[in-house]
Parts: sequence; structure tokens; C-alpha cells
Amino acid sequence: MTGRAERIGLLALPGLSFLAVIYALPLFMLLLKSVQIDGQFSFAEYVAFFSDSYNLSVLWRTVRVALLTTGLALIIAYPTAIVMARAKGFWLSVFLVAMVLPMSVGVVVKAFAWTILFRTRGVLNDTLMSLGITDAPIRMLFTETALIIGAANVFLPFMVLPIYAVLRQMDSRLPEAAASLGATPVFRFMNVTLPLSLPGVVAGCAFTFSLAISMYVIPSLIVGERQQTLSMLTARSFLYLRNEALGATISSILLLIAISVVLTSSWAANRLGARQ
Amino acid sequence: MAPPAPRDMGDSKYLDVNAVGKAFKGTSVMSGMDFRVGRGELVSLLGPSGCGKTTLLRIIAGLTTADSGEVLLDGRAITSAPAHKRNISVVFQSYALFPHLTVAENVAFGLRARGHAKTDCGPKVAEALALVRMSDFAERKVAALSGGQQQRVAVARALIVDPVLLLLDEPFSALDRKLRETMQVELKTLLRDRNMTAIFVTHDQDEAMGVSDRIAVMNAGQIEQFATPSELYARPASAFVMDFVGLSTRLNGEVIESTENRSTIRSAYGTVHAPGTFVPGTKVTIGVRPELVKTRAAENTLRVTLADAMVLGSKTQLHGRAEAGDRLLCEVPGMNSDYAPGDTVTFGWDVADSLVYETGT
Repeated sequence: MTGRAERIGLLALPGLSFLAVIYALPLFMLLLKSVQIDGQFSFAEYVAFFSDSYNLSVLWRTVRVALLTTGLALIIAYPTAIVMARAKGFWLSVFLVAMVLPMSVGVVVKAFAWTILFRTRGVLNDTLMSLGITDAPIRMLFTETALIIGAANVFLPFMVLPIYAVLRQMDSRLPEAAASLGATPVFRFMNVTLPLSLPGVVAGCAFTFSLAISMYVIPSLIVGERQQTLSMLTARSFLYLRNEALGATISSILLLIAISVVLTSSWAANRLGARQ
Repeated sequence: MAPPAPRDMGDSKYLDVNAVGKAFKGTSVMSGMDFRVGRGELVSLLGPSGCGKTTLLRIIAGLTTADSGEVLLDGRAITSAPAHKRNISVVFQSYALFPHLTVAENVAFGLRARGHAKTDCGPKVAEALALVRMSDFAERKVAALSGGQQQRVAVARALIVDPVLLLLDEPFSALDRKLRETMQVELKTLLRDRNMTAIFVTHDQDEAMGVSDRIAVMNAGQIEQFATPSELYARPASAFVMDFVGLSTRLNGEVIESTENRSTIRSAYGTVHAPGTFVPGTKVTIGVRPELVKTRAAENTLRVTLADAMVLGSKTQLHGRAEAGDRLLCEVPGMNSDYAPGDTVTFGWDVADSLVYETGT
């Protein structure tokens, strides 16, 4: 009965209208500002942005940090998700709490906690020196490496949970069937587990990359003003420079990168899935 | 009492499961399990759920590790060999086809796992698909197949690697009755033609009777009897086997007198005679296959009030009113509508047709 289906569709109305009014509309108005100069349609702001080599270096750093964060999170998350998918009862609860609880601790608190770990006379350096691995403390805070490690840590649940959800759904007989057909553990992983978990991997990467490319608080706290990211540039444009057009332009670029990466990865996953 | 038939464990020990034990979280599933299958034999592990039949299958496949004992195949110990080195194919109850692969890719999986290039698999895959009459479906995704078609693909995928042993875990239970019977005949013929050694796990006695040379009836981690279907039916080794394989009239009673190989037993329905010698006072269970019970007086005769008369086509089943734990059942051939619930009928059978077991204390 279409009437019934249509009535059920109404349940989506509050969510859709909320998104439309609070998210899509203001964002659209903001993005419109990036192609309007004195009421005229113009790409001048974009041309200006891309002609500045400083902006380009910030753009490259932002994309690089987001990609490396996503990659690091994926490497750490995948084995964790495998273990979680096989865990039961108490241990599953432990894992889920371990994934969700840190999200309730604000990024600010975490960032200051890392400071204790990473600073010149911090726990990590003291340990390295007492073990004789280095003579002098290594500068870790305010580096891109620290930023990537920190960001991967904050966004880890967004990578683990989608992969875990997909692996959990997978019929445990599939790897067993593969084994009985003579497939080694590596062959099983590459030809059964991995391809079947790709939707989770793509979702996790899309979440993590979107969060990492637009992050503001984490780089502000870990690397500060010295190494700007696009989000920090955006904030500076709006707050200090009072240049709405520039802020809108950078926001649009950020959005475009995020959308294109998400679309490309899901396209790639579909291709991979089809080819298997 | 007729001594229980000695356990037939097969003279040829192609597969030799030797004193295998397994416990899960401290609860023993089986201990001292011996199980031997000859080359080219089709064998069923039959038993209720939780009897350990699937665990035994998984131990043979290498998917579960035995705590003790050993498994030999063709004289080689494979106890500690991982599943992928055993060349034992498994057909699962859910078929476990790879959802991201086409029918042909599923069938080719075992060849590719053995290092064959994708392009070299074509002829063998075509042959395997032809064997199960699925050639027209090669490029389909497996999700688009019906249950029977999925089972055919699972069988083709399992056989393409020329396994030394084929294991099937409840392979027909996901199919409806008609299709199940067709598939059983089809699969049996296919395995026979290839002289394949196969072990079926099932809880369905009709399925076990239909596909197997021999059936191992399992209960609580033990093999109660391992024999041909006709032997199991005619001479069940225990009351459990008698109840699990086929129907029977079943009476509980107490021996009141026993001479050489003939006992007199008091039951709730009167005194009956049965073969065997027992100490008077022994509690026994008597069984008679329903087609051996006649509706006329014989060496043992009971007057029975019918609870139901079921016309089943090729036969008519007469169910008598019985106490809990007992069953009064007679089958007469053909459709017979002379009987109605409430009628009083004579059930008669000969002493030699009775099965007698000491009731477990």
C-alpha cells in the first residue's frame, strides 16, 4: 500500500527539515558569498586563494594530515575491529566502552593530557632518554607527527565502529568455507574478509577523513598558529580579518575536497567489490 | 534378550577418528570417540541437536581442535593439520557461498586458493557447473539463487578441488520437503559416480536412511550404534536408537517371569511375552515396529482403544490410547477408513518381532 509507505515516509520529515533549516540553508548562503563580489557572480576569490603560495601550502598540509590521519586510524582500527567482531559478552562490552567513553572526554582535556606525554621533558622523552635511545629530548609537541597521532586517536572510534559493524554481520562460516577449500589465512583475508568488509572501511574512512580535514580544535591545541590548516584559515578570515568572502571560499574548498574524497572512495570500493 | 549388535566400525579405516575428546568451557561434548569410515562410503551422523555430531564433523574438517585423541586419513595423522591443508571440503547448512562473488567465481575459489590463475579455471568450472546443472547461472550473483540452486553451487564448489573427503552439515535442512527428496537422490547419485567418501550430519532420520550406506546414531557425545539403515531399523542397539530411527509401539513394563530366552512382562495393558532372559523384577522397554503389529490376535495380543486413525495414503496409522512414555502404534497398508477414534481394536504381534531393552536406571 503506497498510502502506508508514504505515511511512514513522514517520519523522516522532522530530521530532514531540521537539516534543511539548520544546516543546508545557512551553508548554502555562506557558500554563495564565495562566488559573489558586490552582488556580481565571480570566481575572483578562488583565483586569489589559489595564487597565494602560502594558501597552497596550507591546503596541501591539510589534505596530507587528513590522509595520514585516516591511514593511521585505519591501520590501528582494522585489527581492533576484527577482535571486537569475535568478542562476546564481557569483553565486547569492555571494547565498546573503550571506544565510546573517550568521546565523552573533551578534545581539550585530551590535548592537554598529550602535552604531558609529548612535551620536551614529558613522559615519553624521559623514558626514551633513560633507556638511552636518545641523548637529547626530541621535539614532539607542535609537530605534524603529534597532530596526526592525536587526531587518529580522537577519530579512532569513527573508524573502528563501522568496520566492526560490517565484520560482525559477516557469516563466520565464510572464512571457514574458504579454509576448507584450501585457502591460507592470508588468501582468506584478502579474498573473503577484506572485500566483504570494504563497505565498513569506506564508511570509516569517509567519517575519519571528513572529520580530519575540517578539524580545528585539535590542530589549534597541538600545533598552534605556526602550522595553519584550512579550518584555522577559515576561522581567521571570519574572526580576525572579517573577510566573509575569503572564509566562504576556503569553506567551499574544504567541502569540495571532503565530498570528492568520499565519493571517490565509495566508487573505488564498488569497483573493488565488482572486480572480486 | 538379544545382545546388542556389535558396533560396526568398518574394516577399512580410510577415515579413522581415534579416542577423540572435546570439551567447551569445561563441559565435555565427547570423550573417547571412535569413528571409522571406509573409502567411498556415504555415512551419516544422526542425532538430536547437542549430541556432538557437528562438533565431530568440525574436528574432522579441522575447524575445531580436538582436546585429545587423533584423526587419521588414509593412514596419515591429520590431527594438527590446519583446515586448509587437509583437502577436506565442507558443505555448510547455510551453504556459506561468498556473497561478493558470482556463481562461477564461487566454484573457482578452491582452484584459485591453490594458486591456479583465474583464466585457467574456466574449463574445470564449466565442468563442475555442468555436473550440478547450473551452467546457465555461471555469471549470476549467488544472492539471486534459490535454496536448491545455492546448494548445487555449494556442492560444485566443494567437489571441484577433488577433496579426499566431503563433509556436509545438514545440507538439506534449508530446503522444502519435495525439493529435499529430489536433491538427496541427485546428490547421492553424484557422489556414488565419483566414488566420493562423504559424511552427512543430520537430525532427520529419513534423510540419513535415504543417503547413507551406514548411519552412526549419536546421543550425548557417544555413538550408540553404527550400522546400515536396515540393521538400525530391524535391530536397534538401544531404546534410544529404536525411538530415534523409525516409529514403534513402545511399552514399559516389569519382568515377572523368565525362562530360557523368553520372558513374561507385565505392562499397563496386560501381560506380554518377549525374547531374552532377565532377572524377575527388571524394568524393561519393549518395542515393536508398527508394520509388524497386526489387527488380529497373535502370540501377544492387546485390546486397544484408538485415540486416532490417520490415513496417510500408502498406509494407515492406528494410534491407541497409551500412558505417558508408552506408545501403541499399528500400521496397516493402504488407505483404510474402517477405524475411528474410540473404537476398540485388537493389536497382535509375535514374540520374535519384539525388541527388549533394560530400562536405564
